[in-house]
Amino acid sequence: MKKSWIPVFLLWLLFTVLGLLLVMNTTVLPAQYSEEAEVIDEAYELLEALAVPVMALIFAIMVWGAISWRSRGADREDGPPQRGSRLIVGLWLVVTISLAIGIVINPGFVGLAAVRGEPVSDYVVEIEAAQFFWQVTYPNGATALDELVVPVEKRVRYDVHSTDVLHSFWIPAFRTKIDAVPGLTTRVYITATHTGGIDDDVNLRIQCAELCGAGHAQMSLPVRVVDDAEWLDYIDGLGTGG
Amino acid sequence: MKYIFRASVLAFVGYVAGIWLTVTIRGGSPTDEVAVIFGFILGLIGWLSGIGGLEAFGRQWMGKKPKTSPEKGWTRYFEFSIDHKVIGIQYGVTFITVLLIGGIGAMLMRIELASAGQGILDLDDFNKVVSMHGILMVAVAVAGILGAFGNYIIPIQVGASDMAFPRLNALAFWLVPPVAIALLGAPFLGAFNAGWTSYAPLSVTNESGQILFNLAIITFGLSSILGGINVLVTIITMRAPGMTWGRLPIFSWACFAASLLSFCVTQFFAASLILVTMDRVAGTSFFGPDVGTGLLFEHIFWFYSHPAVYIMVLPGFGVILELVPTFARKPLFAYKAAVVGMLSIVGLSVVVWAHHMFTSGMADFLHGPFMILTEAISVPTGLVFLSMIGTLWMGRLWFRTPLLLAFGWLFNFLIGGITGIFLADVATDIHLHDTYYVVAHFHYTIVGGSIFGLLAALFYWFPKFTGRMYNERLGQIFAVWVTVMFNFTFIPLFWVGINGMNRRIGDYPEAFQGANRFASISALILGASFLLLIGNLLYSAIKGPKAGPNPWNSRTLEWQVSSPPPQHNFTSQPRIVGHPYDYGVEGSLYAVFDEAGAGESAELEGSPA
Repeated sequence: MKKSWIPVFLLWLLFTVLGLLLVMNTTVLPAQYSEEAEVIDEAYELLEALAVPVMALIFAIMVWGAISWRSRGADREDGPPQRGSRLIVGLWLVVTISLAIGIVINPGFVGLAAVRGEPVSDYVVEIEAAQFFWQVTYPNGATALDELVVPVEKRVRYDVHSTDVLHSFWIPAFRTKIDAVPGLTTRVYITATHTGGIDDDVNLRIQCAELCGAGHAQMSLPVRVVDDAEWLDYIDGLGTGG
Repeated sequence: MKYIFRASVLAFVGYVAGIWLTVTIRGGSPTDEVAVIFGFILGLIGWLSGIGGLEAFGRQWMGKKPKTSPEKGWTRYFEFSIDHKVIGIQYGVTFITVLLIGGIGAMLMRIELASAGQGILDLDDFNKVVSMHGILMVAVAVAGILGAFGNYIIPIQVGASDMAFPRLNALAFWLVPPVAIALLGAPFLGAFNAGWTSYAPLSVTNESGQILFNLAIITFGLSSILGGINVLVTIITMRAPGMTWGRLPIFSWACFAASLLSFCVTQFFAASLILVTMDRVAGTSFFGPDVGTGLLFEHIFWFYSHPAVYIMVLPGFGVILELVPTFARKPLFAYKAAVVGMLSIVGLSVVVWAHHMFTSGMADFLHGPFMILTEAISVPTGLVFLSMIGTLWMGRLWFRTPLLLAFGWLFNFLIGGITGIFLADVATDIHLHDTYYVVAHFHYTIVGGSIFGLLAALFYWFPKFTGRMYNERLGQIFAVWVTVMFNFTFIPLFWVGINGMNRRIGDYPEAFQGANRFASISALILGASFLLLIGNLLYSAIKGPKAGPNPWNSRTLEWQVSSPPPQHNFTSQPRIVGHPYDYGVEGSLYAVFDEAGAGESAELEGSPA
């Protein structure tokens, strides 16, 4: 009965190859509109690839077990009395600990450093969250309640606060998220990489991601990414008009 | 039934008296939160004295003879019985009822989410249904296995006649119905819309139903702590002679680990809710908008609520590890490694809470350490998996309903565990946090890990509880149905989460409608499977064929006594002489029964009973 190792290994190989082909040729991630999205998506895809052989192992054992170790007939004989094996437990620990250390380093700390970046920015935009709207204040002091306009290829620091309860500033197309906490100013740096608006991609929106009360579901604001010059014109227009 | 009636009347009288006293002394309206608090406290006292809970303690303190529980008849299930088997059934029936009510909430949510825009629920009502579903299901997951199977099985498994503190055990159970009534009554005070997490400051400013949530959960916490002490003391002090820690059945080990956690951390949830309550009624401002302590609640809350997920799944681990050797006819693989794994989870689970807060705005330097600790917890969990698949390896797999559900458990919890890695990683969590990805993930871990464990346990121990066998074919259909439809419901939700749909919303952009509709239809079919479960078990409990003491040919002690077990579990003292899971080991013996009164006094003295 030692030959269970071979079919399980072959099944594992098959599932791993199929799984890797699947995750490498398809993506479940939405379109990227920021540098941070690229970092986060890369981390996601790396974790996907690492998950495949682990899941494949358990699936291989389950599938082979269901096919080949099924007890037939009603005689209820007992299986081989293996109580355990120090070697297998040791090997298992080495593999799982190595995997854990590996993902803590990459994408863990590598991704964390990359997604944080340097604390420098070209512009600072203030975001104020309240039940149930977003108010944007641009560097020239102009404010807007109807949309967030973002300059492309500029690193913008968003200073986020809340006037009432917890909210969360999330732009799915940028992948970044930071809570708006009453009494605190939280910060997030985003560099947009492509121009576009909510009509191009539904994920170009600020969406409140922390349950904040009755209007939580609809507490969103369209995001428009434009050229730097156009952005400067836009905020100037707001300043004079408002 | 007369005790339930008396308890209900006294609870009502207490509630009204509390409100009347408060209004008389303080003025104001009877729906003021202060009045509700005193009403709840007096109502709770009325309930406990009506059911006979205070009498049971009081008689002994006064030097009177304690009342004995009735031994027979169905009415004992409606009384303050101190028999752990009765209490186990009481917990089981209560939590399955709560599970079904919570399930109706889930169905309402999925119907609303079947299409974008607003349907049967307005946005705030949706949040209220989310919150109600959340807290009811959390209660089921936290105490379902521990309350029902922990109470019924642990004393028999360790060879004791009852739990260490039988009256405390009954008290812990009878605290639960007021909790359920307070939660389900909250809609009369405007319900609670802050989620089961009840993050402040929203939970300070929302409608008054929140106060009933707080009172209910503080009471439920008390019940959990009392239950936890009982399990710990029972396992530590009441094991049969010869049952060393290395021979303790793995289900009892798992409940020991979960109870240790529940005993140590539950008070933090209660503490956070007491602070919220003080903010609401006593004018304190722990979480006031101007104080800047918005993160304080999250830290205290998750200090309980992350370990809580292990309080939910550890008993699930225990159930699966318990039944896999029986149905694979092999010894439990690497028993010691599984025990070490579960105890390591207990230790690690209290130092990982802030991985729920990677986007909360907490200090930057905290992200790294919490990421490391969170990833580290995958190692002991891996040992539990190794033990399971090592036991299955080349076994003689007997595919009865419990093993089918164990396979479902393995599949679901694997997905839950793997997707947990994506949420432990700071970079990916920044995007995925608070999306449907998280919703799908924790349903895979909590339903996959705890509720599937509960279902497997229900089928595995059903013949022991009732003395009758459930319908195997219907059981198998249910196992396949529930596993497949569970996956059809939650796999699409990973996708909508990654693609920009956040959680706890009654409305969403049109782009997510297709996947949501698929999940909703699957969820309704999933919900329907529970009718089959309930029908099968109810019918079989009355009309099923007699099961005999040991239908699975198991080795642990609960299968060596009649089904259902006799009043004090054992007619003669068991003595443990071997390992519980030595299936297929030549000539191995687990327990011998000493004839009552026939010598063996040395060993009997050695037993801590």
